[in-house]
Amino acid sequence: MKNFENLFAAYLLVWAILFVYHLTVGARVSKLQQEIDRLKELLKQ
Amino acid sequence: MNFARTNWPAVLGAAALIGVAGYAALFIAPEERTMGAIQRIFYFHVPCAWTAFSAFFVVFVCNIVYLVRRDLKWDWIGVSAAEVGLAFCTAVLVTGPIWARPVWGIWWTWDARLTSTFVLWLMYVSYLLLRTLLPDTEKRARISAAFGIFAFLDVPLVYFSIWLWRTQHPQPVIGGGGSLDPTMRWVLLLCWSALLSVMILMVRQRYRLERMRHEAEELAHAVEERAR
Amino acid sequence: MTIIRAAGIVLSKELRLEFRSRELLTTTVVFVLMVIVLFSFSFDPTSEESRRFGPGLLWIAFLFAGSLMLNPSFAREQSNDTLHALRLAPVEPFAILLGKILANFAFLLLMEFLLLPIFAVLYNVAMLPVLGRLVLVLLLGTLGLAVTGTAFSAISAQARMRELLLPLLLLPVLTPILIASVECTSGLLADPPELRMNWMNVLIAFDIIFLAVSYLLCETLLEE
Repeated sequence: MKNFENLFAAYLLVWAILFVYHLTVGARVSKLQQEIDRLKELLKQ
Repeated sequence: MNFARTNWPAVLGAAALIGVAGYAALFIAPEERTMGAIQRIFYFHVPCAWTAFSAFFVVFVCNIVYLVRRDLKWDWIGVSAAEVGLAFCTAVLVTGPIWARPVWGIWWTWDARLTSTFVLWLMYVSYLLLRTLLPDTEKRARISAAFGIFAFLDVPLVYFSIWLWRTQHPQPVIGGGGSLDPTMRWVLLLCWSALLSVMILMVRQRYRLERMRHEAEELAHAVEERAR
Repeated sequence: MTIIRAAGIVLSKELRLEFRSRELLTTTVVFVLMVIVLFSFSFDPTSEESRRFGPGLLWIAFLFAGSLMLNPSFAREQSNDTLHALRLAPVEPFAILLGKILANFAFLLLMEFLLLPIFAVLYNVAMLPVLGRLVLVLLLGTLGLAVTGTAFSAISAQARMRELLLPLLLLPVLTPILIASVECTSGLLADPPELRMNWMNVLIAFDIIFLAVSYLLCETLLEE
């Protein structure tokens, strides 16, 4: 197949963009969960 | 990362769909005569654009419903769909040049669809930027909803005027015109459904984040109140 | 009080306010003049080149100047909370918005009419034979700019960094206006001059749609 490397690069980039976005959201979710737990602890006192 | 709340059937289903769609795009779809393998980008470039549009349409609906009902939940869905839509829009703008380079030798042509998508991208970047500059929750939801409605209704005008302009000053067209082989058509739709499923999963995850943000804010206020 | 009368009162207030100091008008005119001069360095202003690049640069100058000029429309109201006072008046909210739209429309047109002859002279463009039709294009394009700009001024006035935000919000959305106005202007400056109706229709469609949406969203835009 002609130009296969470019095709591969394109597919890789599309999924990389989506995956990076997914990871950043995931990281923020984890951080927030910690924050919520901490605040809940504070309230209980 | 917390995997307890992951909806595994949905994720695995989406992964399977992606696998099938990818295989179809790479091996089942017929080979295009002039461009070679690179033409298969089409099976991702075009559905990414359609997925971005679908996401932005969701934003539009959420904007309207929020202004009518004033339930913050709609604002959360809206911003989630806007961010996910922007990610897919970025993918369109990145795959365009990757396609153009081996075929026409240049990175960017002011092709009608690509240019319009660029303007679309700029509009939704502005939408998200506007939100970061509005710290108050209610104001942010209301004001960005108003802008979102203007922006979405502008999209057909943008696409039409750029298309009309390009027909008078022609340039190489990315995406190829002409009729579609039936096999190509169903591979295209298959890829679109794969990307749509990814979009839905990402919007749900982002929505969860937004809801948690709100919860954290409320808890912080409660702690503050108690401290007084 | 009918919408028209109320809008007229708001309009006269805005006009009087501006003409007392005229600072907005003068600053904007000088700005566009500078843009026109600076652009001249980027290409050779022979008659042929001017006809090709002139309309584009003219409208870009107008759009940039407009997005600067439209800021104070609602930003001004913030300092003494005058918008709140306006809203208490027993008039339709759309009258307030319409009054501001008309005021901005007037200011923008004034700026453009002042700069058009200067542009024609500096760039060797023959505008007199097509002046009537050119004014029509200016009216339609500027109306789109005024309607969208006023609505977005209301939007950005509530946010931080509003001076930078307004052009950011406005320019992508105004793409159809820019393209259509430039095409119409190019058509009129071409040889022989023609009024490109398909592009005029784009301008008209944009104006109608955005005016309608402004009407539907006016309460939201004016809320605090």
